[in-house]
Amino acid sequence: MTNILETRGVTKQFGGLTAVNDVNFNVRQGSITSLIGPNGAGKTTFFNMITGLYVPTAGSIVFSGRSLVGLKPHDVTAAGIGRTFQNIRLFANMTAVENVMVGMHTRMRAGVLGILANVVGVRREEADSRQKAHELLDYVGLDASRADDVSKNLPYGDQRRLEIARALATDPQLLLLDEPTAGMNPQETAELTQLIRRIRDERGITILLIEHDMKLVMDISEAITVLDRGTKIAEGLPSDIRSNEQVIEAYLGRGAAAMAQKQTQQGGA
Amino acid sequence: MNTRIRSSLIGGLFGFAIALISGGFAGILAGLVAGLINGFSVPQAEPLNNRAGAVRQGLVASLIASVLTILGIVIRSVLIDPVIGTPLNITSLLISIIGALILGIPVCVIMCVIRTEPPARERIGLAIVIGIVLVTYPWLDQFLNLRFMNEVIPVLVFILMALGLNIVVGYAGLLDLGYAAFFAIGAYAAGMVSSPHFGISWSFWLAIWVAAAVAALFGLILGSPTLPLRGDYLAIVTLGFGEIVPIAIKNLDKVTINIWNYPLLVDFDFTGGTKGINPINRPWLPVIGEFSPSTPIPWYFLILGIMLISIFFISRLRNSRLGRAWTALREDELAAGAMGINTVNVKLLAFAIGATVSGLAGAFYGSYISAIFPESFRFDVSVMLLCMVILGGLGNMSGVILGGIIIQFADRLFLPQFSTVVQKLIVASGNESLREVNFASDFRLLLFGLTLVLMMILRPQGLVPSGRAARVMPPVKVEVPHD
Ligand SMILES: Nc1ncnc2c1ncn2[C@@H]1O[C@H](COP(=O)(O)OP(=O)(O)OP(=O)(O)O)[C@@H](O)[C@H]1O
Ligand SMILES: [Mg+2]
Repeated sequence: MTNILETRGVTKQFGGLTAVNDVNFNVRQGSITSLIGPNGAGKTTFFNMITGLYVPTAGSIVFSGRSLVGLKPHDVTAAGIGRTFQNIRLFANMTAVENVMVGMHTRMRAGVLGILANVVGVRREEADSRQKAHELLDYVGLDASRADDVSKNLPYGDQRRLEIARALATDPQLLLLDEPTAGMNPQETAELTQLIRRIRDERGITILLIEHDMKLVMDISEAITVLDRGTKIAEGLPSDIRSNEQVIEAYLGRGAAAMAQKQTQQGGA
Repeated sequence: MNTRIRSSLIGGLFGFAIALISGGFAGILAGLVAGLINGFSVPQAEPLNNRAGAVRQGLVASLIASVLTILGIVIRSVLIDPVIGTPLNITSLLISIIGALILGIPVCVIMCVIRTEPPARERIGLAIVIGIVLVTYPWLDQFLNLRFMNEVIPVLVFILMALGLNIVVGYAGLLDLGYAAFFAIGAYAAGMVSSPHFGISWSFWLAIWVAAAVAALFGLILGSPTLPLRGDYLAIVTLGFGEIVPIAIKNLDKVTINIWNYPLLVDFDFTGGTKGINPINRPWLPVIGEFSPSTPIPWYFLILGIMLISIFFISRLRNSRLGRAWTALREDELAAGAMGINTVNVKLLAFAIGATVSGLAGAFYGSYISAIFPESFRFDVSVMLLCMVILGGLGNMSGVILGGIIIQFADRLFLPQFSTVVQKLIVASGNESLREVNFASDFRLLLFGLTLVLMMILRPQGLVPSGRAARVMPPVKVEVPHD
C-alpha cells in the first residue's frame, strides 16, 4: 500500500527548545493512524508543520508525492489536507452553515466580478454549496434546527462536530484531527468514534488522529506512532504499542514498565 | 422599564431634540423622524399577534412620542424664540404641531404594521417607506423652508464613505485609521482629469471611474505593507498613511525630477499644493443640463443613486464566497488560513474595494464643491467615519447608515444650531464671559471621542448589532381557526 504522507527528519525548534526532533513518519493511504504521546510531546507542533502553520527547522514533508514544506496553509488545504484544532477555532459569530461554507472556499470559483454581476455560475455554486453544507452538518450529526445558529451558541459537543464538518468541507484526502473528543462524555466519545470510522469507510478519507483517550486510540487505529519530548519512540500496531516498555515509561514515568510487567506476571500466576 | 415605552421614548426624544434645537417648521420634520424611529423599534421590543394589535401599538407608541415632540415645539416657540429675538407666532406654532401629528402618527402606525409582516414582505415594506421619505424629502425641505439640503448632501457623502470603511473594519476586521486618504485620492484623481489643472477636461461621468480605479489601486498599494500587521500595529500604520497622503498632496506642487542631469520635470505642479484644484467640472445630464451649485436637488439624487448602487453591490459581496472569507478573517485569521482562505488576497480585496467606495465619494464631493484642498481630508474625517461605523454596529450596513445619520446630523445641523441658540441666549442674558465659546467647533472632537468610549463600554456591538442576533424574537403570527 502507498503512503499518502511521508516525513523524513522533521524537526522544529523554538529558540532553544526542540519541540519535534528528527521524526520519520508515514501514513498509509486509507488508514486510520494515531499520533500519541504525553503532554508537550510535540504532537500539535507536528500537525502545524504539516498544515503550513509552522515551517520545519529541518526535514521534508511529502504529501501524495508533493513536498509541503514552505507552502502556505491555504495551499496545503487546497492540496487536500483538512484539519481540526485542539482548542476549537470556529468562526464564533458565523452560523453553523456559514462555517461549513467557509471550508468550501478553495473548492469554489466565484470571483469579485462574477459576484458583482451575480452571474448564473456564481448563483448556482452558492446554492449548491449551501445545500452541500447542510448535508455535511447532517452527516456529522448536527441537528438541522441548529444550522442557522451562531456557532458560539452551540453546545460544546456540537462545536467539535461542526469543526469536523468544516474540515470535511475542504474536500480533503487526509484529515488531521487534533484531540477531537477532548472534553466529551463517554457517550459523545463513542458517537464520535463511530463518525471517524464512517468518514474513512464511506468517504475513503485517510485519518491522522491525535488523541489522549487510549481506549479510543486502541479501538480505532490501524497504526500508532508515539512521540515523547519531540522524538518518535515507537510505532506499530495497537497491540505492539500497548506492551511497549518505552511507551509505558513515557506515560507513567521511569520504573513503571517493570512494575506493570510484574503486575501482569502476578496476575497471570 | 417596559421596552415598548422605552422605544417610544427614544423616538420621542429625537423629535423633542430636533424641534427644540431647530425651531421653525422643523417641528414637522421632528414628528416624522420620531414616527420613523418609533416604528423601527417598537415591534422589535415585543412580538405582535395581528394587524389590529400592531395598529393599536403604533397609536400608543406615537402618542408618547408626539407628546414629547410637541413639548419640544412648544418650549422652542414659547420660551426660547422670544428671548432670542423671534416673537411668538401662534399660527406657525399650531401649523407645526398639527403637521408633526399628521406626519408622525400615520408613519409610526404604518411602520408598526410593516414590521409585523413576514420577513420578505417586511423588507419590501420598509424599502417602500424609506424610499418615499428619501424621494419626497427635497420637496418637504423646500416646502417647510428648512434649508437642510446643503447639509444633507455631504451627510450622504459621508455615509457612503462609512459604508466603504465598514467593508474594511466591519467585515474584514482590519482597523483602518487612515481611510480618509482614499477619499482624498479619489477626489484628486477625479479633479486632475476633469479640470483646467492639466488641461484634461473629461466629463464627471468619466472622471468618477478614474477616481474609483485610482483609489482601488492605492488601496492595494497602501494595503500591502500592512498585510503582516494586526490590531494596534495595523491601526498605527494606517494612521500614518492617513497623515502622509494629505501632506504629500500639499507638497507635490513643485516636483523636480532629474535623470542624469537631464531635467525630466522642473517645478511640475502635480496637485496644486495648498491652493488645491479648482474649478472641477460638474456633471451634465440631458434634461437637467449642467448641475448647478444653487439647485441641490439633482446633486441629492446623484449621491443617493451612487449610494444605493454601492449598497446593492456591497450586499452582493457580503453574501458571497468573498464576504464569508472576510468574516472568517475577522473572526480567526489563523483558522481562516487553515480552511483554505488566501488571507493576503482577501485582505487586499477588502482594502481595494473599501477604497473604491471612498474614491466614488471623493469624486462626487470634489465635483459638488467644485474644488478640493489637501486640508479637507485630515485625521478627524477618518475618526468621524470610524465613529459612524462603530456607533451603528460594525459589519451591519443598516446600522452604519443609522450611525452615520446620527453623527453627521449631530455634527452638521444639530451642534451648529444648538450653538447658535445657546449663543443667542447668552447674548440675551448679558453674560460676557461665555461669549467666545463656540459649542459647535470646540466640542466636536470631544463628542466623537466620548461617543466612541461610551459605545465601547455600554454597547460594543453598536446600535444595530450585525447578523441574526439583531432579530432574536421574530414576530409570532397566530392562526385563528374559523369554524
Ligand atoms: N509557538 C510556540 N512557541 C514556543 N514553544 C512552543 C510553541 N508551540 C509549542 N511549543 C512548545 O513545544 C512543545 C510541544 O508542544 P505541542 O503543543 O506540540 O505538544 P502536544 O504534544 O500537542 O501537547 P498536548 O498533548 O498538551 O496538546 C511544548 O513544550 C510547547 O510549549
Ligand atoms: Mg496538542
